[in-house]
Amino acid sequence: MFTLKYKDDLFRFILSVFVLSVISIFLIAVAIILYYSYPAIMKYGISFLWVKEWNPPKEIFGALTFIAGTLAVTFIALIFAIPLSFGIGIFLQEYCPHFLRGIFTVIIEILAGIPSVIFGVWGVLVVVPWLRTTVEPFFDKHFSYIPFLRVSENIGYGILAASIVVMFMILPIIASITKDSLASVPKIAKDGALAMGATQLDVIKDVSLPYALNGIYGGIVLGFGRAVGETIAVVLLIGNQAIIPKSLFSVGYTISSLLANTFTFAVINPIYASAEVELALILLLISLIVNIIGRNILDRVIGGKFNRSQFGGG
Amino acid sequence: MPENNTSEKDRDNVIVDVKNLNFYYGSYHLLKNINLYFKKNSVCTLLGPSGCGKSTFLRTLNRMNDYTEGSKLTGEVLINGKNIYDRSVDVVELRRDIGMVFQNPNPFPKSIFDNVAFGLKIHGIKDKDFIVERVEKCLKYSALYDQVKDKLNKPALSLSGGQQQRLCIARAIATNPSILLMDEPTAYLDPISTSVILDLINSFKKYYTVIVASHNIQQAGRISDYSGFFLDGELIEFSEAGSFFTRPKDKRTEDFITSRY
Repeated sequence: MFTLKYKDDLFRFILSVFVLSVISIFLIAVAIILYYSYPAIMKYGISFLWVKEWNPPKEIFGALTFIAGTLAVTFIALIFAIPLSFGIGIFLQEYCPHFLRGIFTVIIEILAGIPSVIFGVWGVLVVVPWLRTTVEPFFDKHFSYIPFLRVSENIGYGILAASIVVMFMILPIIASITKDSLASVPKIAKDGALAMGATQLDVIKDVSLPYALNGIYGGIVLGFGRAVGETIAVVLLIGNQAIIPKSLFSVGYTISSLLANTFTFAVINPIYASAEVELALILLLISLIVNIIGRNILDRVIGGKFNRSQFGGG
Repeated sequence: MPENNTSEKDRDNVIVDVKNLNFYYGSYHLLKNINLYFKKNSVCTLLGPSGCGKSTFLRTLNRMNDYTEGSKLTGEVLINGKNIYDRSVDVVELRRDIGMVFQNPNPFPKSIFDNVAFGLKIHGIKDKDFIVERVEKCLKYSALYDQVKDKLNKPALSLSGGQQQRLCIARAIATNPSILLMDEPTAYLDPISTSVILDLINSFKKYYTVIVASHNIQQAGRISDYSGFFLDGELIEFSEAGSFFTRPKDKRTEDFITSRY
């Protein structure tokens, strides 16, 4: 006979095994990455981070080009995606007619689950030609004096093409989480503002967004995670040249696209492989650092002011 | 037709006049042909068991039911002689003259000061000195000032439940509304906080018309000038508090007052 207490303990034990297995998988992954990148870390030291050259035959490896490419694509995609997805999330939750909300929500959720290669193919077929024939000539004609917007090769492929497509991939994630976070704002809090003669915009600005900020931030982190690690779509669009992007329209290379393109033959040479694994380690660190910094900023912005339980769970 | 005990001749100072009000939610008929009026600077309590429609009725007075999908309303609610369900009425504008306090204290996730200043700010008042003065005054009115004067910049949600409710009252009166709606404002409060708020309500009738929904007969007796009794969406009786509590006309009112529900 099991006593009730024993049942509870058993259940708790099983659950802790699940949680511990996730943690150990993470730690093992980190350990393996550290182990394989160790030779490169020893050989190239900290300067690996700011050396620009990447020359496998001469065994000269520097990560800067790929870090720059990765950060450029990620942040440009986020800059485009955040305001758009806020708009979509706010519209869906606060303004959208009831019967359309369900349809739009489903479409957005489907969009979030589309395999990235499809986005990549769409990018090659639609975005790249559009950039080449319309956008790049326009910027070349009117803004060529701004270094950041200079068009050097009018080919369509490059940082901007990759960023636009990555934006479409993270847009549904951030938008649907924004919508869900707004939906979880207690109705009574919104009613309080409405009853005071607040407009819907006042309510969103002063009540809903502050409440939902934590959740929305979670959505941005998820979007960042997908953007920073996005591989296939970027491989198809970024141009895959190991140069540091100086303009929105220049080609580049990201860490993940480099690994996808070259890791199968890098494993033949241990130090080459090790350098690439070290790049993977950097990618991991970038996500961790961004996450931690983001959390801290958020805590400072809304620190202590939020306690949903004060609303009796409502 | 429910009987309206207040004499029909005595219609001076009527501020809210409800005529043939029906409210439907889907197939439910939540308010059934309500007719009554409220007089300026009086405290009216609307009594009734949970689900009788008194909260719904309260929310028809500032059109908070507009957001309830699938609802329908017929009849008229005249405030200062103007039907608030008329097409020309701007809901946002309307609510600026009607304060509302809810069952659950619901301060905004902002500082104590900003909570009270919220109404002034969204009404476009920019004069800082005026806002500060007004916030102070309202916190004093709502008997909260002494407890919070040193921590006006602290989050409102750090206050206790009773203090939060008084903050919500201060917030509601900050814009100087002529009508104050209160939906069971003491339902979740301890006896001491409740007592403080009942005293507040009594003192408020100098400035406002206060309409309170409640299911607590004793509390209603302490503050009412007029009382009404709702049952299953019908207004059973509405009359001056004196006769309402001592000589109710309807058997059902009597049963409720003597706690037979």
